[in-house]
Amino acid sequence: MSRPTVSLQQHWSFPQPEEFKLPGGLRVWAFDLPGQHVASLELVMPAAVTQEPRDREGVATVALHASDEGTRAHPDGQIVELMERRGATLDGAVAQTWTRLGADAPAHRLSEVLPLFAEVVHQPDYAQADVAHHVELQVAAFESRLASPDAVAAQAFRTALFGDDHREGRPVAGTPETLGGITRDDVLAWHRQHWTPAEATLVVAGALAGSGLEQALEALGDWHADSPRPPHEPPAAKPAHTVLGELAEAVQTTLQVGCLTVGRSHPDWAALKLGAHVMAGAFASRLNLELRERRGHTYGVRGGVSARRHDGLLTMGGSFRADAAAEALDTIREFAALEEPFTDAEVADARRYLVGIAPLANETAADIARQAAALAAVGQPASFVNDHFAALEAASTESVTEAWRRHIRPDQLTVGASGPAGSLPVG
Amino acid sequence: MPQIEQVTHTLDNGLEVCIAPDPLSPAVAVNLWYEVGSFDESPGRTGFAHLFEHLMFQGSAHVASGEHMGLVEAHGGSVNATTSTDRTNYFETVPPGALELALWLEADRMSSLAISAENFQAQREVVKEEKRQRYDNQPYGDVLELLTAQHFSPDHPYGHLPIGSMEDLDATSLDEVTQFFQAWYQPSNARLVLAGAVDPEEGLRLVERHLGALPGGSRPPHQQAPAHPGGQGELTVQRPVPHNLVYTSWRTPPSAGDDHVALDLALAVLTDGHASRLHRQLVRTESLAQEVHGFTLHHLRDASLTMLLARPADGIPGARVADAIEAGVAGLAADGPTEEELERAVAQYERDWLLQLATVEERADLLNDHWLRHGHPSAVEQRMATLSAITPDDVRAAAASLTSPATRLYYERTSQ
Repeated sequence: MSRPTVSLQQHWSFPQPEEFKLPGGLRVWAFDLPGQHVASLELVMPAAVTQEPRDREGVATVALHASDEGTRAHPDGQIVELMERRGATLDGAVAQTWTRLGADAPAHRLSEVLPLFAEVVHQPDYAQADVAHHVELQVAAFESRLASPDAVAAQAFRTALFGDDHREGRPVAGTPETLGGITRDDVLAWHRQHWTPAEATLVVAGALAGSGLEQALEALGDWHADSPRPPHEPPAAKPAHTVLGELAEAVQTTLQVGCLTVGRSHPDWAALKLGAHVMAGAFASRLNLELRERRGHTYGVRGGVSARRHDGLLTMGGSFRADAAAEALDTIREFAALEEPFTDAEVADARRYLVGIAPLANETAADIARQAAALAAVGQPASFVNDHFAALEAASTESVTEAWRRHIRPDQLTVGASGPAGSLPVG
Repeated sequence: MPQIEQVTHTLDNGLEVCIAPDPLSPAVAVNLWYEVGSFDESPGRTGFAHLFEHLMFQGSAHVASGEHMGLVEAHGGSVNATTSTDRTNYFETVPPGALELALWLEADRMSSLAISAENFQAQREVVKEEKRQRYDNQPYGDVLELLTAQHFSPDHPYGHLPIGSMEDLDATSLDEVTQFFQAWYQPSNARLVLAGAVDPEEGLRLVERHLGALPGGSRPPHQQAPAHPGGQGELTVQRPVPHNLVYTSWRTPPSAGDDHVALDLALAVLTDGHASRLHRQLVRTESLAQEVHGFTLHHLRDASLTMLLARPADGIPGARVADAIEAGVAGLAADGPTEEELERAVAQYERDWLLQLATVEERADLLNDHWLRHGHPSAVEQRMATLSAITPDDVRAAAASLTSPATRLYYERTSQ
């Protein structure tokens, strides 16, 4: 039987939300997605951790995770019990430039869940014992990261890229020293100043018809901000060098290699996205075929460019047999020099993947809410996704090669690593 | 509860097929389960089933090494495979226009996998790096191995993990792995589920065209799990890890024919979220622990293993935490859950279940899972009925099946 031909004729586009503002100023993006019985809420607030006091770093993280332990109306665990009995679950994350609080719930119970969600947003209780418990959990998580090869390499990479003297070079969730000083008052102060609707967005996605959304949103209707957010200053990268986080007992060396580069708003963004996928993103990427399939030195290479608020970040890496790590790093640098330009076939495959995977990556209400929230968090419109797909379609093979050569310099790659001392030359 | 329409059919060569169409879906999931896992390996020859998960991507008569993954990704699809104790699954989720290509790829490797010395050597090295990355180089990386060894002897079919022993793989000849493939990788030992944007008639026609001509053969019998003694009391290990952990574990029923719904609800009442009993008692009230969790490691043909674990608070001895966990279980076994507790656990279960069914990839995998465990894929539709029929006494009885004393593992931080 000969190889079947493939016809790809479907056109997919990212749904566009109904967009409006509540009386107090909170922006809402509502995606009505028929058939999505589990709805998703995502509240993103662009609170940057650069605003944390230097000796209280991690307070944004503690404020997020302790927020659902109790509210003034439903203290001592009652709030989450009420939400869970309605089939809702909460989650969230703190990143360098935003805090995200999310919930999944049956769509037909949104009208019951939204007022409880609003309570968590408006009036968390932050009981003394709950704050102390979440400080302990973050200290424990810090200690766990010190034992994780991936986390140690990632932190070494941030240290190398930004330096200890910039907030982005230090752990987002703080260190035991800074966490240890955090009190209930610090958490309340962070919540008061930064959990505001200024530049914030609430994304709601799911089967919204008949869910009573409009009325339920009244719970957040009068939420307002007393002052605008301070502007965010992106840091400059340090000159390229290598930092190794020593893990004496490690049986592999883990590498994260990359650099700051252009972001979403640059005309080369789509071309760079395609090039990074060919280099390190696909299973059949240049680096994975060489280092995994040909040499067997790793379980896999992964990488790509990711967008940040003001710029972008290229990373490539993996875990390598310790005695092969220096050789793997040489290979990554050699491939990054791109002596062989990208081929038409490589770029076409990457384009078909990045465009074609979109319907799968956006199959559920939660997928769509997360994607929209990621854009809202950095001030991008929901229409960015479709504009980006158009740019991916339009990029020529030559433009992909040129974008890589213009923005990625092999001698300016920063290396973060974890592993036994001496497994890599550092400095 | 959304209905899941299904059409099932058995090809002449024994391959069983189920098609679950969903015209709203943007893609079609191709999900092929071979009924072979680490249970089917012998002592001294472990890790074979998982090794094939790798070799299956190394090429076949008309497909070059690595091309399978590359082709599917290049058409905007996702592709992968996993190995457990009882099955190996291979799956591609592709745009509808690439369904035939995915079936052709599966047929080509089922009939003509390239098991060459070169592929075998290279993937053996990749598997070693996988084991280092996922187990040896991770804190707590040997927990599962220790827990398994507490309940099964090394020569029991469930006595080793699917990743297997690297010494065994080094000692294995190419002939042995070839024989393993010939024995297990054939149509009569496989089940194929297509879910999503596919018309059942068209789907069956394509399956027949590409997989119908493969030769049939009898599927080998699985070995019998030998009778074995009960739990192994308690074990203490010291490791260079950040924190102490305490595991209490019990043998629970095999997953064949059993969805463990009442047991899962009992675990949820005990450990799911801030409002759960053990969290309230051990973490909030008594400050004995910082975290509690529960889960079940499912085995098809012999005891599954149900675990409750905790991270003790500073200075609290592990035994005291384990005692408190067992007391919490005994409390639930005596009085059962309150109405509110059961309502909460059911609501959480239902949302999780609907979320799992929301993607075609997971829906296809669930259909195959129910097919293996219940003998028919439509068992997936019984789940909500089972859930709504659960009474407080069912949950009480499930907790009562976790009898004291539990098997205990104290995983302690090496003192410095």
